[in-house]
Amino acid sequence: MRKIFVLTTALAVFASCGNKEEETTTENVETTEKAQVVNVYTHRHYEPDQKIFKMFEDETGIEVKVINASADELIQKMKMEGEQSPADVLITVDAGRLHRAKEQGLLQRIESNVLENNIPSHLQDVDNHWFGLTKRARIIAYAKDRVQPEDLTTYEDLVTEKWDDKILVRSSSNIYNQSLMASIIANDGEDIAKKWAAGMVENMARSPKGSDRDQVKAVVAGEGDLAIVNSYYIGKMLNSADPEEVKVAKEIGLFFPNQDGRGTHINVSGAGVAKYAPNKENAIRFIEFLISEEAQKIFTDANYEYPVLESVAPTADIKAWGDFKEDTLNLTKLGENNKKAVLLFDEAGWK
Amino acid sequence: MKQAGNKNTVFSLKSRLKRFKRDNNRWSALTLAIVVFLALPILFIGVELFAGPGETWSHIVEYLLPDYIWNSFFLIVFCSLLVLVFGVSSAWLVSRFDFPMRKALEWLLILPLAIPSYIVGYAYAGIFDYGGSLALLMEAVNLDFVRIDIMNRAGLAFVLSISLFPYVYVSARAFFLNQANNLLEASNMLGVGERKTFFKLMLPLARPAIVAGLVLVLMEVLNDYGAAKYYGVNTFTTGIFRSWFSLEEPETAVYLSALLIVIIFSLILIEKWQVRKVKFSSAKTNNQQIQRKVPKKSQKWLIFAVVFIPVLLGFVLPILQLIYWAFLTASKVFNMDFLWVSLQSFGISIVSALITVFFALLLIYFSKWSALRLIKNVARVGVLGYAIPGAVIAIGIMIPTLALDKWLIKVLGNMGIETGLIINGTLIALFYAYAVRFLAVAYNPIESTALKVDNSIPDSSKVLGVGNLKTFFKIEFPLIKTGIFSAVILVFIDVMKELPLTLILKPYHIDTLAVRAYEYASDEMVMEAAIPSLFIIFTAMIPVIFLNKLLIKK
Amino acid sequence: MLKIDSLSKSYDKGKNYALQDVSFELKSGDVCAIVGESGSGKTTLVRLIAGLERPDEGSISLSGKVLSSVDQFTQPEKRKIGLVFQEYALFPHLTVLENILYGIAKQKDKKERAQEMLDLVGLSEMGGRYPHQLSGGQQQRVALARALAPNPSLLILDEPFSNLDTMLRTQLRSQVFEIIEKTGVTVLFVTHDTQDALSVADEILILQNGKVVQKDAASNLYVKPNNLYVASLFGNTVRINKDLQNAFHCPLNEECCHAIRNEKIKVNPDELTTDCDYITTAEVIKKIALGDAVQLVLKLETGEKLTVTTRDKNIADTINIGFNSKDILEFNE
Repeated sequence: MRKIFVLTTALAVFASCGNKEEETTTENVETTEKAQVVNVYTHRHYEPDQKIFKMFEDETGIEVKVINASADELIQKMKMEGEQSPADVLITVDAGRLHRAKEQGLLQRIESNVLENNIPSHLQDVDNHWFGLTKRARIIAYAKDRVQPEDLTTYEDLVTEKWDDKILVRSSSNIYNQSLMASIIANDGEDIAKKWAAGMVENMARSPKGSDRDQVKAVVAGEGDLAIVNSYYIGKMLNSADPEEVKVAKEIGLFFPNQDGRGTHINVSGAGVAKYAPNKENAIRFIEFLISEEAQKIFTDANYEYPVLESVAPTADIKAWGDFKEDTLNLTKLGENNKKAVLLFDEAGWK
Repeated sequence: MKQAGNKNTVFSLKSRLKRFKRDNNRWSALTLAIVVFLALPILFIGVELFAGPGETWSHIVEYLLPDYIWNSFFLIVFCSLLVLVFGVSSAWLVSRFDFPMRKALEWLLILPLAIPSYIVGYAYAGIFDYGGSLALLMEAVNLDFVRIDIMNRAGLAFVLSISLFPYVYVSARAFFLNQANNLLEASNMLGVGERKTFFKLMLPLARPAIVAGLVLVLMEVLNDYGAAKYYGVNTFTTGIFRSWFSLEEPETAVYLSALLIVIIFSLILIEKWQVRKVKFSSAKTNNQQIQRKVPKKSQKWLIFAVVFIPVLLGFVLPILQLIYWAFLTASKVFNMDFLWVSLQSFGISIVSALITVFFALLLIYFSKWSALRLIKNVARVGVLGYAIPGAVIAIGIMIPTLALDKWLIKVLGNMGIETGLIINGTLIALFYAYAVRFLAVAYNPIESTALKVDNSIPDSSKVLGVGNLKTFFKIEFPLIKTGIFSAVILVFIDVMKELPLTLILKPYHIDTLAVRAYEYASDEMVMEAAIPSLFIIFTAMIPVIFLNKLLIKK
Repeated sequence: MLKIDSLSKSYDKGKNYALQDVSFELKSGDVCAIVGESGSGKTTLVRLIAGLERPDEGSISLSGKVLSSVDQFTQPEKRKIGLVFQEYALFPHLTVLENILYGIAKQKDKKERAQEMLDLVGLSEMGGRYPHQLSGGQQQRVALARALAPNPSLLILDEPFSNLDTMLRTQLRSQVFEIIEKTGVTVLFVTHDTQDALSVADEILILQNGKVVQKDAASNLYVKPNNLYVASLFGNTVRINKDLQNAFHCPLNEECCHAIRNEKIKVNPDELTTDCDYITTAEVIKKIALGDAVQLVLKLETGEKLTVTTRDKNIADTINIGFNSKDILEFNE
């Protein structure tokens, strides 16, 4: 037993050392011009992404090296690494963080006709520091037996008395909630936003907890009537390995709020080129590849996100929910208002 | 007769300085160097404190702090209670009585340690969920599903306690098995009943051991991020992440960390204080094991039930839930790449465990060999890392290592050698961080076994003309081997489970099982997280069983 | 040979002294006992001499070489001092032979030397055993053999017999000191038991509250103790306070402190007339049989209580007691 112990240890150490050496050598090479590598810092840790990266490697011969962590941690990391940062591309799952990275001088302006022309303008940074790759809508899942869809109108309407004790929503530390709040601040102003947050807390069926999926389950369980959720989680639930989750997802109705007004709040998963990217050309090529039709198709088919490319249709499951009008507020606003949103949440007592 | 020894001359600055010069040996300097090395990340965070809190500090104090304090207080109290009940009762029963499947239960009771608490949290949420295992089970037997809501403060306290109680179990049992025999016999001879013996004699005597385990539990409780976040309970640690990342104010996060450190420091001080108060001379030559009693038949099964409950709740149920999920997702998650990740995880954990234990030994013995009393106190600063959230340590490590890297790049650049970051983003930084974070985990078992070795033993060696280092290798090492092995195993398990620090500092193309599990779980694919979680558990289980063998042999 | 000069040690920066201004000397070949109750600083003194603690003031020198002082310190491993601990401190994972070999690993004839030591302590056949397989007395002798093996210039025994029962203790004491005599080593022998000290030591040093109160030959200590504490160490002693002086009608110099050993208080009527300067009557309130003697608890006229021992079996309820003025101990205190 001890021998196996020693052996595996030695093996693993050797393997990791091997990696380390390889790393330093590639880092050596990175600084020279012929480097065929792109270093990606990404918050997206989805299996389908690996497939897309592989496709990119096969097509271009550029090796994709990935660091997976939350966007916050990646931003801290890049900040500290400064000029020495090996990062070429930063990918996040929301626009707010990209905006923050930009504000902190971690991204750079890039010129790419492919990106500028193909991505709707409200989904890209005004200064071309970052670009949206996929969209997710923040929608309402409701219990079909207890809620008439006609009663649902807007996010703002959720604070009226009829929804008292009926709303399920996750914690305010969740970035999707923060972005929704930021969009309300941008659209309606701070005062209304503050009242909205307080009204939501008033109408919550329970103290915020769990994930978006848990909110949906709670609706079916009868804990509340409405849940505010990210569209792509519903897609995932419909295709879950757990038959119970599929059942739940099929049982609820979906509603896209604010269709008569500004449209449903959307957020993007997006990417930008790092300020000190050692492989800027590869980085641009990489991001361009992410909005190619083949990549976009994988994003929607395997991860149930809305493509940013208009020529790619959403996957069947989410297409079935129908087309909807999206809020065309420039997503930069989400980043600008993010901190304000968090502060207002705290003041309203939204946990 | 000359009346010397008056304070003024003996403790004047001059004679103090003289003695300082006399007593300042190389061990003092080395101890200090190690302490500084280990405390460096914390010091860098500390320096940030002087920059003052961010502008949202007053916002936090007004809206969030009361909640953080109340929740943390609640968790401390309830986790202490639950952990004591589970840990001490099971430790006493398995040490004192012989009952069906005792041997198996003895090591099963340690196994909850192998499951990261956030995974236990996910599993319980899954069990009690709508459409979860419990509901399915009830449906199968035609019962109405009564939904128990576990995702709240009380549920969190339960989940943390049930996954952390083995810390108390292990230290209490080690005491009962190795040190309690004589006293127990004496008490029995006096005709004192079983219950009274336990409450009046064993419990007070085992207190230092129990509290030592409890402090470890509470540190873990206060550091928990994954479970608290998932259960929607705001604690200091979730607050640190929130102010750092959502409010974009590292300064404020550092302030909260400092507050958390104060709380944990007071816990440590309470421990030290109570250990000093209850210090009793340990039986020197008495290493006889407790003679187990064979209870009556009806009692046998009652005892079995009492001991089995924590095993059921802390291990069997979560594991069953995970196995169920694993079956649902196996085809998707399990592949060659996954095996490779497992191997990396294992290698990284074992190497960092060895490094950490090495540092703990250096710290314990160098400070012991140092003749300066001050140094002995300073040494404890080196174990502070355990009280600090992994993410904070990671940032604290990045500050100095990046500075060093930048300097190296400059120096090497001048010499015509082009390099990237040498320390940061490599295994060196990761191992360093683990050593800082988990030093206490290695330090405590080694220190407590070292304390059991009477000072006269190494002293004899020295008087016989053998120096410190040789004394260590020839005398102390053989006598504290068990403690050292336990330390290696405990750190190994902790590194296997560690998450936030690994996320931030891990190098390219290195993945650990914990990272895998988290990636799935954080994207609401809790089910997919089951297989990496199970792998963590089974890899951690092997050494846990090993650890148990050691304890029994002792 | 061993010279201790105004040695002081405090564990709390001078608030309390474990040892204060201790000075004494030991000649080569001396057997000196250090006697004091627990907490008197005996162990601290031993640890300071062995180099296991460092003094706050004063110095320790051995054979003219300074071992410890305020600015000098020789590591314990370089001192060539043999030390036998109260709890023997045998290395539990080494055999008896390995324990003895431990301190002489570098010597050429270590095997022979170790066997010689085993023979000396009468454990020739026990070399292969482990400490836990030996009795307390055997362990004690192994510890002694281990300490003597490197041929130390000074041997310190720290309460070597306190873990043993009385029978074994007396037996072992004579065995140990026979062995020690054969080696001719200088010995510092720490004990709280005056019987131990009296039976083996040439000289006795009394420690009280960290200070040396007396250092003298054994016989002198009994006759001329420096204070009541020293006197009490060698048998029950009662202080002759004002009340007692009144009872016996013996006015004494008020500047001094006086005491009388209980055994010097006479009960026998013959002795009372021939050998006593001061006499008084006392009521017998309790008789305790002690084999061939009787212990009496007496109550004097002034209400004082006294305990005396006599071989007389026929004791009345009221008796006369007295003592001789030459038996009065006088201290300057």
